[in-house]
Amino acid sequence: MLEIVLTREDANTEFALLAEWLVEDRAKVELGQPVCVVETTKATVEIEAPGVGTIVQLFAEGVEVELGKTVAYVAESAEELASLEKDAEREKPAPKPPDTDRKATRKAADLAERHGVELAAIDKRGFITEKDVEELIARQKAAASPERGSLLAGLSTENVSLPASFDLDESAGALDPTFLESLRSDPGSFRRLSPEAKVSALRENGAQVGEGVVLGEGSLVAAPQVVIESGVEIGSRATINCAEIVAIGESSQFGADLELQCRRAFLGAGIWAGRSIRFGGGGHRDPWAVLTVGDLAFVGDEAFVNVCRPVLIGREVFLTMRSLIVTHNVGHSLLEGFENRFAPVVLEDRSQIGLGAVIYAGCRIGAEAIVASNSYVTSDIPAGAFAIGVPAKVTGSSSHKVSRARQTDLARRMIDDLHELLASRGHEVSAIDDGEDRGFEVGGVRVAFAPSFSEARPPSVVLTFELHGQPSEGVVVLDLLAREVHGSGGGEVLESVREFCRKRGIRFEPGPWRYQGGLV
Amino acid sequence: MSKRCVQVLNEALHEVFAERDDVYLLGEDILDPYGGAFKVSQGLSDAYPDRVLTTPISEASLFGVAAGMALRGQRPILEIMFGDFIALGLDQIVNGIAKFREMYDDQVTVPLVVRTPMGGRRGYGPTHSQSLEKLLLGVPNIVVVAASECHDLRELVVSAVEDERPVFLIENKLMYGRPNRRPEDGLIGELAVRESGARYPALTFSGTDFTEGTATIVTYGGMVPVVLDAVTELILEHEIFCEVVALSQLLPIELEPVFESVARTGALVTAEEGTLTGGFGAEIAARVQEACWSDLRGPVQRVAARDGIIPSARPLEDAMLPSAHDVVEAIVALEAVRS
Repeated sequence: MLEIVLTREDANTEFALLAEWLVEDRAKVELGQPVCVVETTKATVEIEAPGVGTIVQLFAEGVEVELGKTVAYVAESAEELASLEKDAEREKPAPKPPDTDRKATRKAADLAERHGVELAAIDKRGFITEKDVEELIARQKAAASPERGSLLAGLSTENVSLPASFDLDESAGALDPTFLESLRSDPGSFRRLSPEAKVSALRENGAQVGEGVVLGEGSLVAAPQVVIESGVEIGSRATINCAEIVAIGESSQFGADLELQCRRAFLGAGIWAGRSIRFGGGGHRDPWAVLTVGDLAFVGDEAFVNVCRPVLIGREVFLTMRSLIVTHNVGHSLLEGFENRFAPVVLEDRSQIGLGAVIYAGCRIGAEAIVASNSYVTSDIPAGAFAIGVPAKVTGSSSHKVSRARQTDLARRMIDDLHELLASRGHEVSAIDDGEDRGFEVGGVRVAFAPSFSEARPPSVVLTFELHGQPSEGVVVLDLLAREVHGSGGGEVLESVREFCRKRGIRFEPGPWRYQGGLV
Repeated sequence: MSKRCVQVLNEALHEVFAERDDVYLLGEDILDPYGGAFKVSQGLSDAYPDRVLTTPISEASLFGVAAGMALRGQRPILEIMFGDFIALGLDQIVNGIAKFREMYDDQVTVPLVVRTPMGGRRGYGPTHSQSLEKLLLGVPNIVVVAASECHDLRELVVSAVEDERPVFLIENKLMYGRPNRRPEDGLIGELAVRESGARYPALTFSGTDFTEGTATIVTYGGMVPVVLDAVTELILEHEIFCEVVALSQLLPIELEPVFESVARTGALVTAEEGTLTGGFGAEIAARVQEACWSDLRGPVQRVAARDGIIPSARPLEDAMLPSAHDVVEAIVALEAVRS
């Protein structure tokens, strides 16, 4: 048995750093083979094996060792090794820390975990970023549903809530080809039908049309696949003409003079769209001319969305009056160096596009970002940003943090404003003030704000930030922060309060929902 | 696994000793079996006893003797045990070694190499831990080369010995024990690396294969691993991608790789282990703003040791010397300027 001892190299040193083991513990070593590196104040020394055998290390790397101590033994036979093993049990070198070499960024790892994808599936030189994971997710989605993937050409749907109709069967609402042909060759005869006759004609020929659907006089719906859910209203002279499919979710409303032309249109539920809106334009017959609009989106008067490449509009997006989205440009020859661009546009969930703003081909507007009126967007806008200008530049955040005290104050003011509004409309309103709670009574229903809610006397409509337990019968709770409606009853008062909240940007689940008129 | 830097340097010295018989090594405590304080010269005195000259403790005379040898056509290599002791030889350097060639109208050259370790983080105290290379940066007609663990150390030693000019090869105490990490398949770790074709090359690192970057960080020597750690943290934690230019030639100042990188990133941070005032970063900042004014979107940031005397106590030393965290903060400060 041989010993490896740290010898003293100079006079003024007591300890040395065992910087590195050059061989694994229990490795075979040769005479003169360097086995470890030791650093003292002035020197870095390699220590060599004193003979042939198996090394048994007594200290871990990175430890200060007193000079003169034995740091390892070299066992020259199996018996020696066995007896050393027994001793070493007591002073085992601390295990090496696990290999912490990371390739993936925190954002990438978090995203991969949220989507349950394996980072090992990314074969890439260098670091793995969030973008790489997004691309992997898009590829995996595309592989899982080839139809959908090829439809969007790998475009990421991260932060975009697609309408439910996006996953419709190939056969849903397939229109009789002869009927479709007659719609296309002689649209006038369909346009002349009454709204009821239009619905029944579509139904009889294979279209899937829900209850309470209104197809305004003079409107035209023509596509090989037509799926229109209940409560959809389409204005009087609207033209919907899609090369493959049009699907519209429940309670969506489109004003007069709508023009919707593209290859595939998937529109969500509860969409509200104004007058003289146009989807389509150049390239609307292109195979990639796909439009998706998420639930509860808002499209203002005279908005124009050019669809020759996919346009994804997320849930609760505001695309306000006269705003413009283009997916390609027209100009001089690309061979002479002029730009020729065809690219998709994505408006992620809850983003807002101001009056008259232009979103250029290839841009992605991040979730909850705001583009100010009359801005011209030529590059991606990150989530939560406020962008303004020509070209649009990020100048701040789209919202700011609100303290709980301020939230409470704002909620109380809402109740006061609603009280005042109802009174000014001539309703019998009486104030109630139960300590913390603030509210009023109208038509026999109490409307109150309480920061947290546990119980209330029916019939009540309670606005709150936190709901504990289930509201009792006849009590409806509007959770303002979670934006959810709990409980039933409340009738016209509830509907009016909900409409009042909607106008303050607070839209509740379950949605979509339509205000049928009432107190406000 | 890559060889450790001390071993690469040692092998390079053995190689130049074998190649040329006009190469000498002079220094304190360099004879075997001790082989120099950091063991870089180990084995040389056994192999070449006539050409390895151990000297008394007098750096001034050591520089003088070496200058004389170089003037007479030999290729002396000086090992100065600690870079701090350069100060003892400054008169020989400034008034002799740097000037002989011009004063004698190019009839002589002074092809000597001074090898010396700089840098702290070992608790060696005020006179054994400094990074004094900035004292040499204003001296005309000398070459200052800083080795880092990512450079081809063999190539630096061979080039320095072949150079007709006086070359100061600045090594680093922590570097000796670390592996010499050379690019493999164009990568060091996960960072893509480009090497300039210069005699003493600059390395440029990118986390995006040079497609985009938020800022350029220019550094050298012992700060290279610190900056690479910072850049890796910025990528992994924040997805902020910076380019790093690790210079080896500090003097004469050649900043083409820095200018190229700044053209891509639009911002610059300098990082050095020496004290801030009158340092490497100040000179680089002046030159980059002159050459790249239209590329810069914000002021050049400098990361350096706090002005002061380097303490012995490790925690106090850590507080004085620039860390990876300081580099991260400088980049974050730049981002704040940007928005």
